[in-house]
Amino acid sequence: MRGLLKTLIPGEIAKGLALTGHHFFRVFRTANRRKVPFHFTSEYPEVPAKLQPRFRGRLHMLLDEAGDLACVCCMACVKICPTGVITIIAGKKEGRKTKIPTRYDFEMERCIFCEFCVESCNFESIILDHQFELAAYNREDFSLGIEGTFQNMLGLIPVAQFSIAEAEKEK
Amino acid sequence: MTPIAMTLTQTLVIALIQCVIVAGFVLTLVPLTTFAERKVLGYLQQRLGATRVAGGLIGVTGGLNRGMWAMGKLPFVSILRGLPFFVADALKLFLKEDTVPARADRVVFLIAPAISAAASLLVFSVVCFYPGTLFTFPAWVPVIGNCPLTGTIADINVGLIFMTGIASVGIYGIVLGGWASNSKYPLLGGLRSAAQMVSYEVPLALSLLTPVIISGSLNFREMTRTLAGLPTLDASGQVLSQMPVLELIPLFIGFFLYLTCGFAETNRMPFDMPEAENELVAGFHTEYSGMRFSFFYLAEYANMIVVATLASAFFLGSHYLLPFGLQHYIPESIPVLGRPNLLFFLGKIISLLFVFIWVRGTLPRYRYDQVMAVAWKYLLPLAILNLFLAATIRYCL
Repeated sequence: MRGLLKTLIPGEIAKGLALTGHHFFRVFRTANRRKVPFHFTSEYPEVPAKLQPRFRGRLHMLLDEAGDLACVCCMACVKICPTGVITIIAGKKEGRKTKIPTRYDFEMERCIFCEFCVESCNFESIILDHQFELAAYNREDFSLGIEGTFQNMLGLIPVAQFSIAEAEKEK
Repeated sequence: MTPIAMTLTQTLVIALIQCVIVAGFVLTLVPLTTFAERKVLGYLQQRLGATRVAGGLIGVTGGLNRGMWAMGKLPFVSILRGLPFFVADALKLFLKEDTVPARADRVVFLIAPAISAAASLLVFSVVCFYPGTLFTFPAWVPVIGNCPLTGTIADINVGLIFMTGIASVGIYGIVLGGWASNSKYPLLGGLRSAAQMVSYEVPLALSLLTPVIISGSLNFREMTRTLAGLPTLDASGQVLSQMPVLELIPLFIGFFLYLTCGFAETNRMPFDMPEAENELVAGFHTEYSGMRFSFFYLAEYANMIVVATLASAFFLGSHYLLPFGLQHYIPESIPVLGRPNLLFFLGKIISLLFVFIWVRGTLPRYRYDQVMAVAWKYLLPLAILNLFLAATIRYCL
């Protein structure tokens, strides 16, 4: 009898069946309610992917309180960039003590997303945002800057907006 | 029940119709079970299982996936997402190349999956899905007008023996397939399955003897009626015999014994020695591909349905509502619950199939010596004791 209980372990089997049965019914009830998911499956194209706060996506420029670019053209990011994808041309603006970039070119095709530029920045003017759908159809689409509405480092890349997650975010 | 006089042609045509219905039922339940296996295993492990179908036809499958996603917001329908998989599975198996290894025993190799599949499907020929007539064909039907369609294909008086006999023939398919492949892994898988399945035949047959002893019959229809606890009446309505309520105990134990042996007979998860993925590649069907492989697959799932059918027929009260012979507490005058119903039977079969998948998703495999020890050292004495208990209760009461 002891051998039977040690080999067939009915108690442990019942415990395991209870656990998995509990899982089944929890998942069955909450399978498609996004607010309270009990399952670990990520349904990426339909549901926006959940990213960790320190996820390193695309380089993104920030604005200061006055609505201008927060960048002061200290060139720290240009110097530290291992692949040399950032080019800054400094300029002046009326009523602003520091310099302001007239061009800030970012060639994303060679960027390795190491975040050194963000770490080196003393003015909190650039971050790596959470945008990771960076595919594009033309090589030119990877050259980002601050001019124009397309290829703008202040917003989303238009080419990358094909997924449902982005479309839902825009709504 | 007086049989209506039917000509030979009419009998044959009716039997053919019944065969088509039953085979259609089994052959649709098999792919649905594979689909359910994906989904239920996923849900048991906090995954979602199959939710979308990827494929070259981006437009079609993409639209399908969007539709499935939209449909999934309804609470119950959500489990049906990924349903196209069951078409995709079959299509994949149809399109695969059918290879035969060099120097394999060609005839045996080609015949083995057919033996497995045929044996598992043949068992359904004596299963009584419904006692009596399902419906009578109207008079305008050409050959079979006014003929009744009964719920049993062959109502023979040694149904259980026929069933166990045919089910053991299925082992030949596995053993021969493993031997004919001319490869070491299938051979080992075949040998293991020979040992395992022959061992588990013994407690399986002994646990099926319990209902035989209780009901005193081998006919499927009579057994299910007696085992549901209903009294046997003679012509004048006098109660001839009735199953004692105490027989509930051996039936209850026998159910679990039978289910355990059934898991082993169908090579399901806690006992999947013939198909040990982590040591024998894929066991006996390593060298099989295409439709021949799918026949083995079909045989495995059809065997699951066989075990579920027999367990629900003999232990869970078959087409009556209450299991373990408690049905006589509901008088037959109550409209739906007191009457036999095909849906009760199907519901029991499907919930037992769920149990199969549930156990697979929960239990890890036994070691090989443990599998054998469970069969010979524990299940066999337990089955004999259970048989003795049933016989004692029947003799004393």
